Amino acid sequence: MGHYLLKRSLTLILVLLGVSLLVFGFVRLIPGDPAVVMLGERATPENIERIRAQLGLDKPVYEQYLIFISNALRGDLGTSVLRQEPVTREIIRRFPATIELAFGAMIIATLLGIPLGILSAVKRNSWFDASSMVVALTGVSMPVFWLGLMLIFLFAVTLRWLPSGARLDANTQFQPITNSVLLDSLLQGNPALFFQGVRHLILPALALGTIPMAIIARMTRSSMLEVLNQDYVRTARAKGLHERGVILRHALRNALLPVITVVGLQVGILLSGAILTETVFSWPGIGRWLVDAIYARDYPIVQGVTLTIAIIFVVINLFVDVLYTLVDPRVRLD
Amino acid sequence: MQSHRIKSVLALAVLAAVMLIVVACGTPAAQPPVVQTVVVEKVQTSAPVIQTTVVEKVQTSAPVVQTVVVQATAVPAKAPEAFVFGAQGEPVCLDPAVITDGISGRVINQIYEGLVKFDKDTTNPVPSLAKSWTTSDDGKEWTFKLQEGVKFHDGTDFNADAVVKNFDYWANTKNSVHAKQLAAGQVFEYYEAQFGGFDENGVIQKVEAVDPTTVKFTLKEPQGPFLNNLAMFVFVFASPTALDKYGTETCKNPVGTGPYKFVEWKPNEQVVLDAFADYWDKANAPKMKRVIIRNIPNNSARLLALAAGEIHALEGMEPRDVAAIKDDPRFKLLLRPTNTTGYLAFNYNVKEFNDPKVRQAFAQAINKQAIVDALYGGTGLVAKEFQPPSLWGYNPNVEDWKYDPEAAKKLLAEAGFANGLSEVTFDGKKVPLEFWYMPVSRPYYPNPKDIATAMAADLAKAGINVSLQTVDWATYLDRRSKGELPLYMLGWTGDNGDPDNFVCYFFCLGTGDKPLSREGFANDKEVSDILKKAATTIDKAERTKLYQQAEQLIHDKVLRVFVANNQPPLALLANVEGYIPNPTGTEYFNLVEVKPAQ
Repeated sequence: MGHYLLKRSLTLILVLLGVSLLVFGFVRLIPGDPAVVMLGERATPENIERIRAQLGLDKPVYEQYLIFISNALRGDLGTSVLRQEPVTREIIRRFPATIELAFGAMIIATLLGIPLGILSAVKRNSWFDASSMVVALTGVSMPVFWLGLMLIFLFAVTLRWLPSGARLDANTQFQPITNSVLLDSLLQGNPALFFQGVRHLILPALALGTIPMAIIARMTRSSMLEVLNQDYVRTARAKGLHERGVILRHALRNALLPVITVVGLQVGILLSGAILTETVFSWPGIGRWLVDAIYARDYPIVQGVTLTIAIIFVVINLFVDVLYTLVDPRVRLD
Repeated sequence: MQSHRIKSVLALAVLAAVMLIVVACGTPAAQPPVVQTVVVEKVQTSAPVIQTTVVEKVQTSAPVVQTVVVQATAVPAKAPEAFVFGAQGEPVCLDPAVITDGISGRVINQIYEGLVKFDKDTTNPVPSLAKSWTTSDDGKEWTFKLQEGVKFHDGTDFNADAVVKNFDYWANTKNSVHAKQLAAGQVFEYYEAQFGGFDENGVIQKVEAVDPTTVKFTLKEPQGPFLNNLAMFVFVFASPTALDKYGTETCKNPVGTGPYKFVEWKPNEQVVLDAFADYWDKANAPKMKRVIIRNIPNNSARLLALAAGEIHALEGMEPRDVAAIKDDPRFKLLLRPTNTTGYLAFNYNVKEFNDPKVRQAFAQAINKQAIVDALYGGTGLVAKEFQPPSLWGYNPNVEDWKYDPEAAKKLLAEAGFANGLSEVTFDGKKVPLEFWYMPVSRPYYPNPKDIATAMAADLAKAGINVSLQTVDWATYLDRRSKGELPLYMLGWTGDNGDPDNFVCYFFCLGTGDKPLSREGFANDKEVSDILKKAATTIDKAERTKLYQQAEQLIHDKVLRVFVANNQPPLALLANVEGYIPNPTGTEYFNLVEVKPAQ
């Protein structure tokens, strides 16, 4: 195991180097100069030159990359163009909001997706199976943007059960510690703040969690169906176990293996979906920040955030692989 | 072993499920208890709130935080204490010296004040921190008498020295804070644009404190738009003490003399301001205890937040939503007097566009009225000249080119294009005629793609076949300023309410009477000379005459096709009073009052 982790960590470094090179190259391929965007319709050539020099954009590209990567290795992702803020500090400040949202979405996706998949498989070809798979198919095909607006319209405007967006009510102020509202409210022993945070989280998490939920439900169903036809399930039934025991103890455990991989892969979908969700729900995370930065050609932010997301994705993949050995004794990592 | 692990995984899942259920139960269907955490004093929301029960007080690392649970029971309605405005985006910086964006400007308007300000609903400068002023006969000396007893939010006195110090910060590149800002990558863009540059290059040569309540400005040459420039939201005064203390961090620590003082700015969430108790202008003291400017980037989500009662007012609406709001008794629709013109610009490096007949054909081929009726959601006006009608240099006597595709065809034939125009000579090469439209919605063109499509269809009817093109906004601006777009849509929103800012920026030739690539090499010395003369004239009547003369010439020569003026819509809840839209977007939140909801 130790050997395996070491090997994987080394590949991880190579992957990240590749990602950094790609990101660095791609942002520079987008036409439009950050200095021009920053100065807008009134830009003078002198100011453009000065800002370009300030940003180091007058240097050769390979030199810019070496500066970027050597600073990045020391944890310094540069300073943003528009607001002159250290990118590393800002990522640390904004990331908890995105993690909270992704986590909420994942909870909704797994807690609804897995039972839905199990029930559909067990009641195969029933009306329940048919309708839940229609729901799942709709879920996969629904644009997050549209779904988000519909949820706001129903729950915030018509029913007024939940707020339409943002992390907290406008009047609420709190001194953050980690910048995760839920965690900080617990640390500060403030249940009112915690519940307000949860109320604000429900709609965006639902919007973001729908696609992963649908994918997980479909995966669980097909994997479950396969397992239910296995000999050991027939044996378990022949032993006289009641159906619930057969399904939950014998079938589900094996059926969940491929589902874990799918859940792990959803992290990528969650992070990309977060970009849209955060815009619709005015959620102050890194997804929206990234979009603004792309429009502003704020290279340091785009590079920094993309690199961070890549690191997370790679680390979670590694984590899923390790988790696999824990759930399935047949899998050996070496 | 394995089953233990699975069990613990399942146990975790169950725990999470239980938490979710608990949470869901904690949010009852109807009339949830209003829970809020406030700093120092209790603030009530717009929900009807009567009884206040303090359930617990929690001391945290930040000693000022306490939790108050307010339980809502039956009515009578109480007026909210905060005015919440839904903004389209994030302020860039709250240091007025280094910004140009309107979203920062809206916040800055409430915190800071300058010598003069725009009147509530026009672009006429009226006294603010200056009580009165006089001008020398040659227009080069301006003397301002200041209000007395004015304090900044940090307790510092406002006086002539504070004015001098602020101007030094803006104009003097050797000023220590100015130099540090430059080193940090900041640009004093508006000072440079409005006052012609820094140090000895600027129009303002000297700012002196004659006595604590008198300031004298000495100009290099008379500047027509001087007062209008001073009224802009960027030429407002920061506390000298705060400027020394925060330096380049003034962005995040604004301290002015305005009706509201800065409390906090949570990035991508909101800016919170509180009423300033010692505000000098008692007649215009803030009506609300607090102002919250929330960042809601999506147009539809912002409107839904208004419908949900979470915000009281907003800016930025899809044209299709405007009509719906208008007839809904829950809302008020306000139109900001127009300060913006969308146009179609010719690049004069296209050989064919140098023939006035070709340009006139464009002007007569486009059915502007139909475009305004169909695509502006009822907030547009047909533009016949560059200045919008709210400006005093507007010429009401200009008669617009009539929409007439047949006349356009005839003009083209006279110019030698009897078979229509689909290819042009651009920089010496024969190329298909490209028509560029912007990829983003701007106040003057709310939906550029639809408008471009409509214009292209109109042009086709007159025999002008264009290929529609677009590219991302940054590139668009970049290519336009390099003179690379042959025919393009763009527009202008006025900065200081002065005609100079509209017409001269576009039709004044550069140094040495060189045509500017930025403006498609527009090259008309007659117009440029008139505009340059108006820019250094002080007498308003004289200036008005010059600008009207210039507008008539620009029209007669069809230097450009002006398409539409837009009146950007604002939506308010029905119980919001005192919101007065200003053409420049400089709106005063101290006049706004949120009445109890009906």
